[in-house]
Amino acid sequence: MKSRLSITQWLAALLLAMAPFLFGREVSASDQSSPSDGPILRIGSKAFTESVVLGELLSHLGRHAGARVVHVAELGGTQILWNALLAGEIDAYIDYTGTIREEILAKSQSQGANLETEEAMRSALAKQKVLMSGRIGFNNTYALGMREDHAIRLDIRSISDLKRHPDLLFGLSDEFMERRDGWHQLANTYALRPKRVRAMDHNLAYRGLVHDSIQVTDLYTTDAEIRFFNLRVLEDDLGFFPKYQAVLLMRSDLVERAPDAAKALLKVQGLVDPAEMSAMNARVRLDGKSETYVAGEFLNNKLAMGLALPSMSQAAEWRRTGERLARTTLEHVFLVAVSLALAILIAVPMGVVSARNERVARVVLGVVSIIQTLPSMALLVFMIPLFGLGAVPAIAALFFYSLLPIVRNTYGGLRQIPSSTRESAEVLGLGPWARLRLVELPLALPSILSGIKTAAVINVGTATIGALIGAGGYGAPILTGIRLSSIPLILQGAVPAAAMAILAQGAFSRLEKKWVSPRLQASGA
Amino acid sequence: MFSLENVSKSFGQTQVLKPTTVEFPVGKSTVLIGPSGCGKSTILRILVGLLQPDSGIVRFDGETMSGQTLLPMRRKMGYVIQEGGLFPHLTAFENITLMANHLGWDRPTCQARVEELSDLTRLPASALNRYPAQMSGGQRQRVGIMRALMLDPPVLLFDEPMGALDPMVRFELQEDLLKIIRTLSKTSIMVTHDMGEAGFFGDQVLMLAEGEIIQHGTLEDLIHHPANDYVTRFIRAQRIPQV
Repeated sequence: MKSRLSITQWLAALLLAMAPFLFGREVSASDQSSPSDGPILRIGSKAFTESVVLGELLSHLGRHAGARVVHVAELGGTQILWNALLAGEIDAYIDYTGTIREEILAKSQSQGANLETEEAMRSALAKQKVLMSGRIGFNNTYALGMREDHAIRLDIRSISDLKRHPDLLFGLSDEFMERRDGWHQLANTYALRPKRVRAMDHNLAYRGLVHDSIQVTDLYTTDAEIRFFNLRVLEDDLGFFPKYQAVLLMRSDLVERAPDAAKALLKVQGLVDPAEMSAMNARVRLDGKSETYVAGEFLNNKLAMGLALPSMSQAAEWRRTGERLARTTLEHVFLVAVSLALAILIAVPMGVVSARNERVARVVLGVVSIIQTLPSMALLVFMIPLFGLGAVPAIAALFFYSLLPIVRNTYGGLRQIPSSTRESAEVLGLGPWARLRLVELPLALPSILSGIKTAAVINVGTATIGALIGAGGYGAPILTGIRLSSIPLILQGAVPAAAMAILAQGAFSRLEKKWVSPRLQASGA
Repeated sequence: MFSLENVSKSFGQTQVLKPTTVEFPVGKSTVLIGPSGCGKSTILRILVGLLQPDSGIVRFDGETMSGQTLLPMRRKMGYVIQEGGLFPHLTAFENITLMANHLGWDRPTCQARVEELSDLTRLPASALNRYPAQMSGGQRQRVGIMRALMLDPPVLLFDEPMGALDPMVRFELQEDLLKIIRTLSKTSIMVTHDMGEAGFFGDQVLMLAEGEIIQHGTLEDLIHHPANDYVTRFIRAQRIPQV
């Protein structure tokens, strides 16, 4: 009894400590303090470097205009950001015209709306109370590129010029080989007949260019590597590649709610040219600067905003690593503990009811099994309209995933009690509740605890996806690590997550020793 | 004490107990005997409320048994099954005192009552802190009897209590059990298929076959004035060693 109490107290303390995370997570890596009384401005970004840099750039602009900025960074895809924008979980983020046309407005497009022009897209978005700004100034689309020195020697400026050099070896990314707007259409349009085309990994293609084992590759026009490897981006003189012009998407109500901040955000129009974007990506990916730092540096140079930049010293880096580990640990424990606690509260009674009624059991076990098969990404997207972004939708998703092992083991544990034992308790004169409490649940406890243990261990692993919707946790450094190809950063998430899973396993094994009657442990149900 | 009036029970198409009327007198022991599937266990399970009869009335202590009256009635019955039906997660002491604890008895009262009962059933005090899996079959059965006696109920019901015991242990326990029933002058009802056991315990014997009582009397009545041929054959079938 004593140990149970202390665990309850511990959980309660944890809940209190973590309460702020329930209401959205401040992911912004910036160290700047925000004014304390300005309007709240929520910025979103996707899980790739350019998007995070632009998110930090918007954050600086908003903060400079007096807003309290929350940057919900590295969200898991266009659909999540778009739904979050519609739900008011974020106020603004930067997307690309090609993506807006193909993914966000896909429905209106399939219904025959003509969305060729940006003006048409702008009015389609306005119907959903979303403002689309003018162009930011760079187009991040596919292009072909080659080494600058080769291009000069062979006098190649545009894709059409490649026709004169059919001997060049093409090394193209697998995705580009497959896409509708990829290699085959491109070759047709430009009548390119190179002698040799090889499909290869995008990162290896850059290495191949440097070592001259290939001469032409596909790239994104703002890739950091363009500067690093000194590449020339060939002009798309026939206009083959669709435009992916960067634009700001902003909720139209922001203009009334925070006019100064809205006006400040619109400063991004025409602010960043392709070379500048590419250089900022390179500062992060190749020079290892933080996104906050790079975006602030850019604004200081271009608009003389005089922002204080975070220190980039080694000591500051260590401090940030420590802080990140502490923060992500708290967030992760919070996600797992709350979702697991809720699941226990709901799933154990569900198991008890199922064990009493076979028809209910079939329905309940069927439904929780189906929930288990839902892809986590889909479940997360469903949660956003209901719960917004941050810890709450992640906890809801984890809760659903925890139900099956606990319900099934509660049901199974109760069903395996021999009928003679159940009847003995009944004839003794114990009422239904007393039988459950004094006899049936204690006998099913080993099975129930092992179900909870399974749920906890699965939960620790699954909670890493919470980072996709801004819930933080160990998934955040993993996501950033993948984005920056930084193994150390990935390990900062993966290693503690594995350690926590082992700890959870150990903790429940100890609880088992403590709570389960010694005579039932050997049988280890 | 207990009586059945026109009580019947079917499982699906099979009528396991034809409409039956019978009285279980106060302070006497009644034995239900018959082959497997004759309905003797069905009667016992109806008496303790584990089965609801399809028709007829069960009376206990002057009251009709129903959903509402069942719980308090059960606290006036002690029920012992094969192997004692002990809870594997509780020690012998915890098994015996579970119900008393639940009803709010204090620790000294429980302790005193358990001591009294272990004297009566001759259970060694050292066994009280063991779990069922750590005890012998005979000890488990003694604990089962102590648990049934804990609240000092006027009625004891036994469903083949000696079924799983080896002959020596069984012999000893039978003697002890009879002494207990006699000393405490309890009303008792026992199901068995062992003729010797029936004669040993029963003030009256109910012989059942195919869902009905075919003879109701003392063992002597059954032997000397069998109601029909079946009774004679059933009694003869109990082999006595030829020395």
